Amino acid sequence: MNNLDLLDRTDTINGLLARYGVKFGIYKNGTFKEQLFPFDAIPRVIEKEEFAYLERGLKQRVAALNLFLKDIYNEKKIVKDGVVPEDFVYAASGYLVPCEGVTPPKGVFSHISGIDLVLGKDGVWYILEDNLRVPSGASYPMIARELCRRASPRTFNETAIEDNRNYARILKHTLDYVNTGGLSVVMTPGRYNAAYFEHSYLAEQMRIPLVTYSDLEVENDYLYFKGYAGKRERVGAVYRRISDEYMDPMNFNPESVIGVPHIFDVYRKGHVALLNAPGNGIADDKGIYYFVPKMIQYYLGEEPVLHNAPTYLPFYEEDMKYVLEKFDTLVLKDVAEAGGYGVVFGSKMTKEQKEKFIAMLKAEPRRFIAQEVIDFCDIPIQDRGQIVERKADLRAFVLTAEEPVVWKSGLTRFSRNPDSFIVNSSQGGGFKDTWVLSQ
Amino acid sequence: MGTKSVINTDRLYWLGRYSERVYTTLRLFGKSFDELIEQLTEADYSRFCSTLDIPNIYTDKDDFIARYAFDLTDPNSIISNLTRAYDNAIELREEIGSETLSYIQMALYSMQKAKEDQAPAIEFQDVTDDILAFWGIVDDQIDDENTRNIIKVGKRVERLDLYTRLRMNRVDINREVQRLAGRIDRCSLRYRTQSIIELLDAVQAPELDYPAILKSVESILEV
Repeated sequence: MNNLDLLDRTDTINGLLARYGVKFGIYKNGTFKEQLFPFDAIPRVIEKEEFAYLERGLKQRVAALNLFLKDIYNEKKIVKDGVVPEDFVYAASGYLVPCEGVTPPKGVFSHISGIDLVLGKDGVWYILEDNLRVPSGASYPMIARELCRRASPRTFNETAIEDNRNYARILKHTLDYVNTGGLSVVMTPGRYNAAYFEHSYLAEQMRIPLVTYSDLEVENDYLYFKGYAGKRERVGAVYRRISDEYMDPMNFNPESVIGVPHIFDVYRKGHVALLNAPGNGIADDKGIYYFVPKMIQYYLGEEPVLHNAPTYLPFYEEDMKYVLEKFDTLVLKDVAEAGGYGVVFGSKMTKEQKEKFIAMLKAEPRRFIAQEVIDFCDIPIQDRGQIVERKADLRAFVLTAEEPVVWKSGLTRFSRNPDSFIVNSSQGGGFKDTWVLSQ
Repeated sequence: MGTKSVINTDRLYWLGRYSERVYTTLRLFGKSFDELIEQLTEADYSRFCSTLDIPNIYTDKDDFIARYAFDLTDPNSIISNLTRAYDNAIELREEIGSETLSYIQMALYSMQKAKEDQAPAIEFQDVTDDILAFWGIVDDQIDDENTRNIIKVGKRVERLDLYTRLRMNRVDINREVQRLAGRIDRCSLRYRTQSIIELLDAVQAPELDYPAILKSVESILEV
């Protein structure tokens, strides 16, 4: 594959990304800053057959997670049958009592699922985590592809790559499928949200309004978009990029000033679709992650196609024993944290830090999971004119309307620090386009 | 897009106003900067401030040159006005499109570059070009007539406001009044017809009554 002219234009492409305001927000010392997301033009390439395998596994996983959500907020068969202990359901912060007995329009809970994977040096893809609340990141490879095609048409002419610029169309279909009548909108917490660029870009690409709490109102059990001069329109689907607790001060956090009062009541009555469904946090809880392979067997009667990273729950006595024995070789994660925060490597702790952590682990075993450190593949990136190898993950996007559809691309994030496994943009990482070969 | 939110309507209007304010004040400032090369007195920049109805907070002419253009803590500086244009534009991506928004983003980058330059006036050309390109693309790529017209009404109101404060001649004032009157009923903004009638009458009067024109300009939009 000859894509040298594409690589030569990396700076030009980054200049265009700056021109189009492709940024993410970050709070440092209490101050909001917009930062550019560094792009590396060397793509991650996934062969057609390899992607077909991932596609099969991702569809299976998301189908099982959707069934789990439906079950947990209704019959709870998986708990009654002892597959998932109730401690891991009802103690999880993502489990929301108000969602009990509520089935969303068309029965879809996780419309947009962001599944994080890494490719191990053993050639095996491992699932690192499921993001079923408000996963972000699809907009970056979308716009990067657009610019790469401009920068090097020859590369795309000579290489058979699946076009990823259909994401907005698939997403719009996902919204339309569950729309209960009226407008579809993207709801953002506002400009000072880390992913604001994505909110506005997806709204633009889908040609639907981007709204905040002040643009919406509930009246007589229906949701309306308020227009200028008193005009208003009914809303049938809300792609909300605001977390559950802030969505509706009447049903969740009463101190939220960025939510829409009673929007959850409209949803409960089936008069609006909320994407993703409230309460999904129970399924992407880091503790529940351990049970996803069991869910696949339980609900689908199939063996999981994709593997979890080997995970231990200190909640179980046997696992706690193992974690304490192998502490130095494991990575420990706080289930309440996200974005690469709350992740510590046993091997990198001082004696004092280790003692302190173990005391915390023993006091709150449900709060942590431990995983074997996956020795995942390095991939090449450009760094000051040199090609160097860095750690990278892949966020795959699965959109569910009639059935789960895996977007033939994804966000590849990489660490710019040679000693780090942390790839998050908020911690200085960059991104790449993900090419899925079509031949 | 059909229904437009109250806040986006407001943002579009102010995007038009701030982009115009940057464009016109940059031209005026460029002229002052040119005069500085030989001589610019305190009286000159004091008059400049008084004309634009902004407080003269500057300690001397060098302070004026540095802060009026580039001081983000001065709400009347050109860069502050450009930042406000950007603050409105960045929240309108889905209304105006990424391509249109990019020209305001580029204007801000050019202004930041000018700030670092020993000869900022030469860099101002890029800012002016970006704003002119922004207005061009508003016409060319925004399909929704209402969206286009709200931005343009903002631009016309601001230009009329500035031209009146600057005591510009009848030809210039009349041209802007006619442009505004021909545009404002082609968008969803609620406005006072009486204010437009007053402006049309004012430009026909034997003497231009600038304070009265300014008052009419300030009362055009219904709050």
